[in-house]
Amino acid sequence: MNLEKVIFGFFVLLAATLNFGFFIGDIANPDVHNIYELFAALAVSLIATVLKFGDRTQIGAVHLATSLVADLQLVAAILVWIWAEEISGEGLNVISTASVVSLSGGALLANLVSVVLLVTETVTFHRG
Amino acid sequence: MSNPLLIFWAQLFGCREPVSHVPARAHLESSSQASSTVFMVMRRMRAPLITLIVIFSVSVVGLTLIPGIGPDGRPARISPFESFYFMSYTATTIGFGELPWPFTPGQRLWVTFSIYLSVVGWAYAIGSLLTLLQDRSFRQALALQRFTRKVARLREPFLLVAGYGRAGELLAKAFDALGQQLVVIDESSDRVDALDLASFHADIPGLVADAANPHHLSAAGLDHPFCTGVLALTNDDETNLAVTMTAALLRPDLPVVSRTVSATVAERMQAFGTPAVVNPFDRFGEHLRLALNAPASYQLLTWLEAGPGAELPERGRPPTDGRWVICGYGRFGREVIADLRAGGLEVTIIEPAKLGESEPGVIVGDASEPRVLAQADLASAVGLVAGTDNDTTNLSMLAAARRLNPQLFLAARQNRPTSAALFEAMRVDALLVPTEVVAHEVYAQISTPMLWRFIKEMPARGDQWAADLIQQLRHNCGRELPALWKVKLDTEQAPALGGWLAEGKVTLGDLLRSPEDRKRQLRVVPLLLLRDGTAVLTPDGDTVLAGNDELLFAGHGSERRELESTLVVDSTAAYVLFDQHIPSSWVWRKLSRKKPTPSRADDRGAATTNHR
Repeated sequence: MNLEKVIFGFFVLLAATLNFGFFIGDIANPDVHNIYELFAALAVSLIATVLKFGDRTQIGAVHLATSLVADLQLVAAILVWIWAEEISGEGLNVISTASVVSLSGGALLANLVSVVLLVTETVTFHRG
Repeated sequence: MSNPLLIFWAQLFGCREPVSHVPARAHLESSSQASSTVFMVMRRMRAPLITLIVIFSVSVVGLTLIPGIGPDGRPARISPFESFYFMSYTATTIGFGELPWPFTPGQRLWVTFSIYLSVVGWAYAIGSLLTLLQDRSFRQALALQRFTRKVARLREPFLLVAGYGRAGELLAKAFDALGQQLVVIDESSDRVDALDLASFHADIPGLVADAANPHHLSAAGLDHPFCTGVLALTNDDETNLAVTMTAALLRPDLPVVSRTVSATVAERMQAFGTPAVVNPFDRFGEHLRLALNAPASYQLLTWLEAGPGAELPERGRPPTDGRWVICGYGRFGREVIADLRAGGLEVTIIEPAKLGESEPGVIVGDASEPRVLAQADLASAVGLVAGTDNDTTNLSMLAAARRLNPQLFLAARQNRPTSAALFEAMRVDALLVPTEVVAHEVYAQISTPMLWRFIKEMPARGDQWAADLIQQLRHNCGRELPALWKVKLDTEQAPALGGWLAEGKVTLGDLLRSPEDRKRQLRVVPLLLLRDGTAVLTPDGDTVLAGNDELLFAGHGSERRELESTLVVDSTAAYVLFDQHIPSSWVWRKLSRKKPTPSRADDRGAATTNHR
């Protein structure tokens, strides 16, 4: 067992699961989407991105790309949330909630691709 | 194309010469080597970056969870965004104070904790980054990347020089004066630093690397389309052989000049294509023989090989017959003895070590001992060659010999550059500095192929001819060697002459008249005329020129510009060659065509006779 692979797999999966947890539920209802979960999803996704740094293989490059997409989507979601909550003065309404959740949905897609890549890599790995 | 607009037009829309395809047989991947630097940084920054992210997340979330009291006195928590904002300015030590409202003791406790945590995180991240920047392998990788990029961006023909020792430095100066770009590889970082410190006109890229490694040669532009030649000039024969080999296998189209002092290595080099091998010992023997037989030819040869700006060397008066004493029967001694014997001279050899086969005229013993020198009977000899590989021995031998026989012709081999002042003070008649011989030889071969052709054919013309030519050069250009340049009389370099060349009406003497006043001749000496592969040395003024003739001239830059204006500007050419005034602008030329002009050929004939 390779500890590096365990940590790598852990963070990639955790990023996807947290993202999924935030995304699931009625898209326009702010009560079923916890902002802390979104925050945790971004933090873990950032860690996963850094873990993917410095891999020179082709699959490593795709891994890094998917992570960067997920980061971008999550940061956009958080920015929308900050706008709704702090700047517009209206609080989270149906429209802003929907856009935050849909942006995180895009990040979820990227995270799922990451997981698929991880699984593919594991399946095609032959020792010796 | 005398009209600037036309030239502009041609440069804008004329078909540019396409970059020639490189016929490299194998492409070496050197860029991947360089880009690995980035990956190395990213890999090593993983842990510090993750630490930072974790610390930030924990502090931000923690601060939002601690209960606080709002401005209205009711319990209120800080929102995640406010918390992130607070943590950002606190962790980076900017510190705007407690925003958006004063903290409760519980919040302050958490902030104290997170301040220490974030300072540790930042210190760790910045510390790792700085360590990485100091890292030797990282710096090397960075230098290689910068060098590779610099070489790849070169858009002018350049020479690849492996080995920037004394010979490399001399050559770099000579080529830089000619405006020839170079790329340098040397194993010693001191030498590459010296390259950076030297005041060259061009920015010469230098790399600290082993030239024997094909990857480094490739990074230095071996497979670059603008690479025009490879010079292997390191002190190590093995490395030179490796460079020659790599160049011959990867770029068989490139000329290679390689330095060696060993005949066997020279043979091994010849196995790879046709590199020009320069053996300084061999060349010195040939030069010495030339100096004995034809002092003026030798003087001209050394002057031309020394490069632009060189002072005219003194003409030696070596003894033409008599017995020579040679100390040191190593590789150098053998070459010189072979050349002297070929010249029909008697030779006495002094060699410190006992040789396997005893040859006639070999005295065994340390040449710096007076007893051994006395045995060689210097009083009746005419010349001495101090050719051991030890400068101290050579110098003491020269001093002793001069005391015994002040009339001796002294030739010496200088091994270390630091001994130069001593040998100069000794006033030896012929001095071999191997590195200088290599530099001059390579310069003559590479700077213009026509100069090399000239030097090859020159000794056959005899001593008197050489003395006359030196006189002519001195009269026209002074004691310092002027720049040598070549002109090809084709449509590109001599567009103004086109039709007249084909008619066979242009003579060299007319061409070299001054555009200011055609009664004055330009102070330019034609050295060589190359037509269809046959060379004419110092063509005279009556020579009729034809299209595609190549000429090698010696003369100062100002005279060169005047000649170039004759070659390019139609009206100047008409005046210089035929004393004919034609309008220089297109409109006037069109207008003046209306009046009947006499046939050019007749007019020209009359004009030239008038002025002769």
